[in-house]
Amino acid sequence: MTTTRAETVGIVGAGRFGTALGSVLARAGRRVLVWSRDAAIVRAIETTRSCPRLPEAPLPAPLEATTDPRRLASEARLLVMAVSSTNVRERARELGGFLDGSHIVVHAVGALAAPNNDRVSEVMQEGLPTLKIGVIAGPALPADLALGEFASMVVASAFDEVVAEARRLLNAPPALRVYGSHDLAGVELASALAGAYSVALGLCDGLGMGAGPRAVLITRVVAEATRLAMAGGANVRTFSGLSGLGNLLVRATDRSADYQLGRRLADGVVTADNQRTEGARAAIAGAELARTLRVRMPVLAGVAAVLDGKAEPRDVAQLVGDSVASEE
Amino acid sequence: MASDRPVQEAENRLERFNSDRERLLAEVERRVVARRVAQAKAGGDHSLEYVLNDVAFHEIRRHEASKNGHSGEATARWRDLSRRLLAMSDEDKQSELRSLVGFYGKDVVGNFDPRVYKFATGIGPSLLGFVFNPISSLSAGVAAMRNLDARITADGEVELARACAERGTIVVTPTHSSNMDSPAIGLGLLRAGLPPVTYGAGKNLFSNPFISFFMRNLGAYRVDRRLKFELYKDVLKEYSTVLLEHGYHSLFFPGGTRCRSNLVEKHLKLGLLGTTVTAYKNNVREGAPNKRLYIVPATINYRLTLEAETLIDDYLAETGKSRYIITDDEFSRVGRMVEFFRKILAHEGSVIVRFGRPYDPFGNDITDDGESIDRAGRVVDPASFVRGADGEVSDDDQRDAEYTRALGRRLAGIYPRLTVFHSTHLLARVLYDELARRAGTRDIYRLLRLAQGECTIPIADAIAGVDRLRARIAATPAFGAEHPGFVTQSSQDKVADAVKGLSTFHTRTIVERRDDTLCVADAKLLYYYQNRTAHIPPEGA
Repeated sequence: MTTTRAETVGIVGAGRFGTALGSVLARAGRRVLVWSRDAAIVRAIETTRSCPRLPEAPLPAPLEATTDPRRLASEARLLVMAVSSTNVRERARELGGFLDGSHIVVHAVGALAAPNNDRVSEVMQEGLPTLKIGVIAGPALPADLALGEFASMVVASAFDEVVAEARRLLNAPPALRVYGSHDLAGVELASALAGAYSVALGLCDGLGMGAGPRAVLITRVVAEATRLAMAGGANVRTFSGLSGLGNLLVRATDRSADYQLGRRLADGVVTADNQRTEGARAAIAGAELARTLRVRMPVLAGVAAVLDGKAEPRDVAQLVGDSVASEE
Repeated sequence: MASDRPVQEAENRLERFNSDRERLLAEVERRVVARRVAQAKAGGDHSLEYVLNDVAFHEIRRHEASKNGHSGEATARWRDLSRRLLAMSDEDKQSELRSLVGFYGKDVVGNFDPRVYKFATGIGPSLLGFVFNPISSLSAGVAAMRNLDARITADGEVELARACAERGTIVVTPTHSSNMDSPAIGLGLLRAGLPPVTYGAGKNLFSNPFISFFMRNLGAYRVDRRLKFELYKDVLKEYSTVLLEHGYHSLFFPGGTRCRSNLVEKHLKLGLLGTTVTAYKNNVREGAPNKRLYIVPATINYRLTLEAETLIDDYLAETGKSRYIITDDEFSRVGRMVEFFRKILAHEGSVIVRFGRPYDPFGNDITDDGESIDRAGRVVDPASFVRGADGEVSDDDQRDAEYTRALGRRLAGIYPRLTVFHSTHLLARVLYDELARRAGTRDIYRLLRLAQGECTIPIADAIAGVDRLRARIAATPAFGAEHPGFVTQSSQDKVADAVKGLSTFHTRTIVERRDDTLCVADAKLLYYYQNRTAHIPPEGA
């Protein structure tokens, strides 16, 4: 039986998250079409049923791969944009030439987009013809998804239809449960900040700070992220949910590139720009956004300063600690 | 996606409106009743009993609060309906529903008399002078108004708007700051060579028999904002939808009621604007996706606003809650209106209507050929916005409301750029900035507490300030623009012109000249006029 366009999930990008999501969905019997510009990756998926970027994720038959964006647009109405924040603008513009107003596009980019620190949905809006845009985020590491571990995410959009369709097509219990929200800005900010704060927690652990300071740091992070969310027009509760706190807690382990970066920074390892993670980019962009919105965010500003080489990790930790003591 | 396909021409049918009227009303009745009956199957708040009771409840409340001599009879009739509801069969309820929808439809429906239109547009200014000049000042008013249309100018994207009116149906969406907006935009359309439009006017505007006669005969339909129940809103929306589907060019004020503060409208209520998506969706469903709708943004810019005093008082009222409907403002005072026409509109270029580039109903830009384009400049099929995965048109009220919000954001975003500044706005801004600088705050309530005597500013400083403000506006098109008729005017003359306007028209003097200084006599009204520039950040910010 031919699976219809309405029942197919298109995934833009065959990176770790795109592959992991495709794996979960295909294993649940959902037809998935992955679009990658890399012909070697597409060939590998089609011939070995695995992707070199996440080889542990099985990619059974309902999943196909293509280098043809026209095919992706014609065979899938719901698309998941799973590319890095540095590529999202170009990919949206490229793909936009093949989409129309009926498509639904949700992104899984946990960062703000350079050069103006725009939310990714705003960037996509510039390149895509459809207005039906959303975000998916939450504590779902690619490695966990690949192994079929229990994971939950939240999809957010101003459009009920986007939330409903994304939940219908991306829910794959028990491996993946998808919840809904209308707080698009909140979920995008929370997702980006969670990556940034993972770097902070990596720094904290790398400096050997104890459980007490770590707990204080997490609670302060929730407070300052909520302040930014409010200033950005988002729901005050969103950061406390899956996309914010949930995302942060799952990333604060050695399996997260952001957390690992924080630990390396604590060890004094200098990181070149091109080695920076999404969380690092989010920290720098978030700190700029906070300045623009005049929101005081000492933790985020401290992480950004360390990443920019303007401050020593231990000095920042001290500053953050002092700030916390006088603020609450 | 190809741009070479023909775009169906939707002719202006307003001339034939009267012959269409009964058919349109019947269509409205059929659709509203069918939808309500279908929804009633869900029960609860959707049941016909609830819907009818909601009408009766609101009507009883309205009539009880009314001072009208017949309100007792009306109240009794609605009470009777409320009582009978419990015993009514489904057929009886449907019959009552049909009757009410028909009743409200007739209350809303407009009229268009080509003879009146020809008469009005032929001697428009004098005619409108007559309309707004009751008997006592007839000769003076008519004389003053003889050249009214020379005083109203229209510019901007008029050619593209005209092309859109030929290719499809246009919906003009102006800013709204005065009850004079209806005649002003009517004449602005005429000056721009655009066809007449039908529009919903507040029922309070129909209280003057002269105005009522002309508005009714020039395509206006009545919107009774006192009727807050859903069934009335249904009728109103459906009527607007049907008009658009039948190619009647329309006008909505997306800001809702008149803007009390004179700020360029940012938070739009949208109201009937949502009917553009519904109408286009219905066109697509009927197999006519090329029967396009175009939303034409516009700003109406007055040198002085007739109702400024009432509006700003209302805006700043200590109760903090603006009145939704104002019935006792300058518009209702014959003398003030005569004054307005004689003193204000007699001033050359006192009203300018600026049209912007049209959008499609989803807020997309369009090409010069009327095709929708996305933000990246690629042609996109607007019909795809209302189609589901299977390619069929799908109904989704929340989606359509979101589309309308997106359109509203585009309109709110473009209004500042389309704003035209008169001398009064420029001087008011400069003086307000100076008051704010001295007080260390831009907060109007704190500024109002300043002693009037302290508010004197050397005229040379005011001229220099106007100079700088003009330069900033010229350098930043997104702020808006000076009135094109006065771009070469010196800042000195501009200040003199503004002082003349701000000191003579309103019952309260706003600014007066004392030797070489300007004295701010009324900070509230100064605030009102400077608000037109409030989207321009303070100097050095």
